[in-house]
Amino acid sequence: MLNIRDIAITYGGNSIPTVEGVSLEMNQGEIVSIVGESGSGKTTVIRAVLGCLPGGGRVIRGQIQFEGTDLGSLSRDAWRSLRGSSISMIFQDSGAMINPIRKIGPQYVEYIRTHQRISKKGAWDKGVEMLERMRLPNGDNIMRSYPFQLSGGMRQRVGIAMAMTFQPKLLLADEPTSALDVTTQAQIVRQMMELREQYNTSIIVVTHNLGVAAYMADKILVMKQGRVVDAGSREKILNNPSSDYTRKLLDSVPVMGGDRFV
Amino acid sequence: MSEPHDLILAARHVTKKYPASNGRILVANNDVSLNFYRGRTLGVVGESGCGKSTFMRMVVSLEAPTEGEILYRGQDITKLRGEALRQHRQKIQMVFQDPSAAFSPKMKIMDIVCEPLLNFKRIKKGEKEETARRLLEMVELPGDFARRYPHNMSGGQRQRVGIARALALEPEIIVCDEATSALDVSVQKTVVELLVRLQREKNISYGFICHDMALVQSLSHQVAVMYLGNIMEILPGGQVSHGCLHPYTQAMVGAVFDLHMDFSHPIRSIDSEAPSPLDAPAGCPFQSRCDRCMEICKQERPPLREIAPEHQVACHLYQ
Ligand SMILES: Nc1ncnc2c1ncn2[C@@H]1O[C@H](COP(=O)(O)OP(=O)(O)OP(=O)(O)O)[C@@H](O)[C@H]1O
Ligand SMILES: Nc1ncnc2c1ncn2[C@@H]1O[C@H](COP(=O)(O)OP(=O)(O)OP(=O)(O)O)[C@@H](O)[C@H]1O
Ligand code: SF4
Ligand SMILES: [Mg+2]
Ligand SMILES: [Mg+2]
Repeated sequence: MLNIRDIAITYGGNSIPTVEGVSLEMNQGEIVSIVGESGSGKTTVIRAVLGCLPGGGRVIRGQIQFEGTDLGSLSRDAWRSLRGSSISMIFQDSGAMINPIRKIGPQYVEYIRTHQRISKKGAWDKGVEMLERMRLPNGDNIMRSYPFQLSGGMRQRVGIAMAMTFQPKLLLADEPTSALDVTTQAQIVRQMMELREQYNTSIIVVTHNLGVAAYMADKILVMKQGRVVDAGSREKILNNPSSDYTRKLLDSVPVMGGDRFV
Repeated sequence: MSEPHDLILAARHVTKKYPASNGRILVANNDVSLNFYRGRTLGVVGESGCGKSTFMRMVVSLEAPTEGEILYRGQDITKLRGEALRQHRQKIQMVFQDPSAAFSPKMKIMDIVCEPLLNFKRIKKGEKEETARRLLEMVELPGDFARRYPHNMSGGQRQRVGIARALALEPEIIVCDEATSALDVSVQKTVVELLVRLQREKNISYGFICHDMALVQSLSHQVAVMYLGNIMEILPGGQVSHGCLHPYTQAMVGAVFDLHMDFSHPIRSIDSEAPSPLDAPAGCPFQSRCDRCMEICKQERPPLREIAPEHQVACHLYQ
């Protein structure tokens, strides 16, 4: 379904690619976790799949195919209809999805109505329903709030609700739960897994939480300095990592009741 | 109280209310009393939206409580204004949850990192770049990032800029609001080791809001558990995993993902809906989701009670 072939990506006029030699093949209904160093290019890779690299970012080598089509060859209009409905993204920083100076409700209604013919009232109700499915109590009040009136985790769940509105075929989730408490995190992880069970959604989840990565994934990629340093099944990565970096990461995971700093 | 630690800042019966839609009132903090001691870390955990950031914003004087007082070395800082407030600010710094919202996109990293130092005339303009490079390297970023802009960096890199900026003034108290959540665990460990080392050397107190239960218990002397604006439990960091008593704390500990869990079992969590802070129930705030809820829980709010040294719980099971 998704085939990333040996891509390289640069920002601005940089001569050295930020990301190089990344490949990934995914089937419908598969879940892949990407973990790794901060700044290694995880966000860059999944933004490239969505075709929205910021700051003059460009794919300079390789190809990304989605259901057989080369995404690099798509027209703007084709992109617009794909984005949000077939492929959607939960951004690491909810600010990238939500305009900070407009209330949530009108933004959500507008988002729904660019992808579906539906009345304003219908879109409003759909928005409220999605927010409540993300465990936001009192969805109507959230719709009437400005982003600054919500906590960090509440804003993040607004972004998750938006991304899941149209049951995309491919969900790109960039740190979807790192702003959430553990019980809400567990719930959202379950919701994402349910998307797969019910709609056979494929998911790429980028996360620093190796427990979440391992729990969700069929396959794990480990990135460092713009390259994939380890890839394989969950069992392989956890039990037989091939790179020293993966081993170092696994050793650094904080453990309940484990070593203490103070 | 228990052992005599050096108390620096004490929040006393702090309540914060916000106006909400349709003329309603949202209670973000309800009668919160917490202490910051010299050289010690207070971890704060709790459900998203329960009021952790709101509380800390009051501690760093960005907002004023609706009721209650915040005593810094005995003086109520909620009353400070003008120059006195400005001078006070250098003693308490905050690393914000959302770094991209906290930085002006037009400022270079060195300007962001050195802004507090220049404001308080601790360095000269000419020393800016060199100082910024040193601070960035402390948080494992290349010194060259001093000349970058925040939007040209990854999430975790921006977050470390926020930490470097807070460390710059060498304040007495640093509040870290999800300050390490965008870092990979290996860099996170390095940053935490740095924070702990500085704490030992300079006796800094930290307020550490964090959703990673395993991390927060490993670096906190004390952990406060919040729910719907209320403190439910305060306990030593080392006791969180095995010694926590409140049903909400226990639910949180049970919902932690770890590498040695059984991946074929669905993760545990609390299934029922969270109540809204707009209409918090009478009685125990956690009653609608507690599987040990009793009759009294629906009528009377359990007070926070000390049940062992340094361990307080607000739950009728332990009255
Ligand atoms: N708009 C941009 N212009 C120039 N460089 C950029 C831009 N965005 C990111 N970079 C750089 O590209 C590299 C990869 O960034 P990316 O955001 O993909 O990392 P990441 O793996 O998602 O990291 P994190 O875990 O910290 O979010 C980083 O070194 C970053 O500084
Ligand atoms: N300026 C504001 N105006 C109105 N309501 C607000 C404002 N700031 C916060 N709130 C509300 O107060 C409550 C507590 O928010 P706060 O940001 O303190 O939560 P939090 O515990 O930090 O959550 P998170 O873990 O998601 O960051 C939320 O219900 C939020 O909507
Ligand atoms: S007071 Fe009652 S409802 Fe509240 S946590 Fe304790 S047992 Fe549960
Ligand atoms: Mg990223
Ligand atoms: Mg917060």
